[in-house]
Amino acid sequence: MNARPAKYGVFVAAVALVLVLAGCVSPASREGMALQIPAFGKQFPYSVRVQTSGGADTGAVDTINISDADLKAAIEDAVVQSKLFAAVVQGKDGSDYELNVRVISLSKPLFGGTLTVEFEAAWSLTKVEGRSVVMRKSVKSSGTVTMGEAFAFVTRARLAVETAARENISLGLKTISGLDL
Amino acid sequence: MKNLLKLAALLGLVVTLMTGCAVNRATANVDPSTDLSSIKTMYVKKIPEDGRGINMLIADKLRSKGITVTTGTEPPVSNVEAVVTYIDKWMWDITMYMLELTITIRDPKTDFPIASGNSFHTSLTRLSPKDMVNEVIDNIYKGAK
Repeated sequence: MNARPAKYGVFVAAVALVLVLAGCVSPASREGMALQIPAFGKQFPYSVRVQTSGGADTGAVDTINISDADLKAAIEDAVVQSKLFAAVVQGKDGSDYELNVRVISLSKPLFGGTLTVEFEAAWSLTKVEGRSVVMRKSVKSSGTVTMGEAFAFVTRARLAVETAARENISLGLKTISGLDL
Repeated sequence: MKNLLKLAALLGLVVTLMTGCAVNRATANVDPSTDLSSIKTMYVKKIPEDGRGINMLIADKLRSKGITVTTGTEPPVSNVEAVVTYIDKWMWDITMYMLELTITIRDPKTDFPIASGNSFHTSLTRLSPKDMVNEVIDNIYKGAK
């Protein structure tokens, strides 16, 4: 029996497995960060423009990140569905308020069974007329996912990031709903 | 067949080395309503478990920007204009190296992050802790309006 081709075969399979697993890394998605039936008990008769920064794209073999565009979309979806503001405005002009959300830290474990992700974002709300800042708050959240919920590490990590992001969005908008605008 | 296997193995190795081992990321952001250049006193809050003196590197870098900086594990004195916190993540690949560094400049009264920067470099493009600190703080100040 010739053992060398088998040895190569194993090596190739191992490399392929690494590439396939690495290729499975996908960023936290807009859908995954979306709040289920958001309601904050208040509806402001104003329009808002949402801006996000500090996020990062996820490379094929990178750790799971939150992109600015997906975070913005998830926040806008929650605002629209909850009717917290009367309208979400795109572009620079025409909004009554500006909501600025900056990703400060997204602390993710690099390995492990049960994964807990810690997420901090800086939320600030500015009234466009007069440029007065009506809220500035550090919102901290976390998301934990067990191996029972997802076996593959990359899936577990993504779900933990999305859970932390959902909680952050919920806490941030809840804080805004407590304001007297 | 043998040559094909060799080629596949080589391609796999090259792709793995080119992608998995060289992820670089550097981001920074500053609160739009904050004038970072007006802050002249800061306190770098040392992580008690930090045995590598990252707080000292951050303090030295900030001093080079003309800021009066103190550092320690105790709560900051009341008259500082900003508190600096950091999160450093380390990995092992032949030797230990700093994989990721996040530095945040906060309002001492509210804990609100007025500016933040993050750098992430995997093994092949690793930087020394001092260079990581320099990169993050320089990016924060580049982002300041």
